[in-house]
Amino acid sequence: MKDRHKAFANLLVRRRWMLYLSLSVLLAVVVCGIFAPYLAPHDPSFVDFSHKLESPSWDYPLGTDQLGRCLFSRLLYGTRVSLGLALLIVVACLLSGLLIGCLSGYSGGWIDHAVMRVCDAVLAFPSLILAISLIAVWGAGWKQMAIALVIVQTVYYARFVRGLVINLKQQTYVTAARVCGTNPVRILMRHIVPNMLPPLLVVVTLEIGWVIMDISALSFIGLGIQAPTAEWGAMINEGKSFIRSHPRLMIAPGAMIFVMVALLNLVSDAFGENKGFGSPLRRKSKST
Amino acid sequence: MSLLIADEITKTYSATGWFRKQTPEGKGVREISFTLEEGSCLGILGESGAGKSTLGRIVLGLLPPDSGTLTFRGIDLYRSGRSERKQWRRDIQVVFQDSYSAMNPRMTVQDIVAEPLRNYERKSSKEERSAVAELLELVGLGADDMTKRPKQMSGGQLQRVNIARAIALKPKLIVLDEPVSSMDMIIQKQILDHLKELKEKIGTAYLFISHDISAVQYFADRVAILDRGTLEVRESFDPFT
Ligand SMILES: Nc1ncnc2c1ncn2[C@@H]1O[C@H](COP(=O)(O)OP(=O)(O)OP(=O)(O)O)[C@@H](O)[C@H]1O
Ligand SMILES: [Mg+2]
Repeated sequence: MKDRHKAFANLLVRRRWMLYLSLSVLLAVVVCGIFAPYLAPHDPSFVDFSHKLESPSWDYPLGTDQLGRCLFSRLLYGTRVSLGLALLIVVACLLSGLLIGCLSGYSGGWIDHAVMRVCDAVLAFPSLILAISLIAVWGAGWKQMAIALVIVQTVYYARFVRGLVINLKQQTYVTAARVCGTNPVRILMRHIVPNMLPPLLVVVTLEIGWVIMDISALSFIGLGIQAPTAEWGAMINEGKSFIRSHPRLMIAPGAMIFVMVALLNLVSDAFGENKGFGSPLRRKSKST
Repeated sequence: MSLLIADEITKTYSATGWFRKQTPEGKGVREISFTLEEGSCLGILGESGAGKSTLGRIVLGLLPPDSGTLTFRGIDLYRSGRSERKQWRRDIQVVFQDSYSAMNPRMTVQDIVAEPLRNYERKSSKEERSAVAELLELVGLGADDMTKRPKQMSGGQLQRVNIARAIALKPKLIVLDEPVSSMDMIIQKQILDHLKELKEKIGTAYLFISHDISAVQYFADRVAILDRGTLEVRESFDPFT
């Protein structure tokens, strides 16, 4: 009995440790992204054919690509694009999902029915395919990609938020607030939304990882961020012709994506376990 | 004129949805009639599942009845306009059984007690603080409890906070849905005594819902017995007649 207790405590401590480690690595990457102009040894888009496809050296920590651009600098600047855009998209999704989910879940009735049917319709398509078709209509580019991703993902958020709202709406303190005259908007702002932040935090950290992958995938097939801009997915695309001769051109950005997504998953899991709920939002398997 | 008149109120829970079977008879309340005078206390006695909370929710305006009328100070509540409804919200307040879950765990006692005041009155933060302190004192708590959160208080203290919130607007009627059922005898008596005192001070009427015969005997002026959805108002307190 005591042993089991100890093992459990150990596990918790180890988990904590892992959480802090993941968080600090993530933070380090974010800081590197923010200070990229100061940290990068070279201009990420400076073309220099005299240095093309060089191996790592003191001057070029990760070597150069086919146009002689510094790979390390490009990775650093790519952090800004991938993480920054992912964050932007997730925040936009969160806000619109909160709005729609709260409206739908709190009002119930025909509004709820209508909103949920629209969501079902969107959910019937694999999300990346839907995003691709939207971009196909609007044309490639990072703005179109961001808007398409926001539209597609908002549906997941809206459904998730709606479920939480319906659950929290039944809490006695919400009834008590209604009785003492609090209006629905105030009830949502003061009683419901604050109490769903912990599960939302879990989802958001996980989602940032997913969105990084989506951005990279769309940029890889040329629909997202366009060529001269350093972005991980686009970098993999550019590097693919050199997969045999210079695999590091693909491996480096690929590793960045992998590490970021893995860390965000770890953090999300740890948050979830900490708060006593597992990963609440399982997305359908995606073809990334 | 009576404060509250319930006339033949019926509310049965029917299963909604296309494929579910109708729930069997006896869920909810049927043809309930009673009157409640200003400043008095009616005890509603009934066993678990008899429909006591259902009745409370109807009186609070949270659950429209299938049929029957509820008249509060001469106004038919479920067929009234917006402004009357707003006044009604103000004049009927509630104390629930589970004191902890009746409060948002993220809010402080001050925010909880001040919530009804903020909804109806414009007060500066200083006025609000003194109003909350006064209310807390009325229910036997100190002003230093104001900054606490629900997790930091005991069940009895929490129920006092709930009562402070309920009396904040000086309502005409408070629905007490088993307010002391989860407490031990000494605290029960303390809180009931406090409620009695408040009744004298601010002149509210109570609808006291309970399954505890002795508590009802101690607390209520009249008693009505709710048995499987039907209500019988007794003139005498002897529950076995
Ligand atoms: N929302 C609902 N939907 C369907 N049936 C319900 C609902 N709420 C209550 N009931 C049923 O109505 C009956 C009366 O419930 P109510 O909560 O009024 O009982 P109660 O007298 O307050 O019991 P307790 O002493 O346990 O609180 C119960 O049989 C219950 O199962
Ligand atoms: Mg009940």
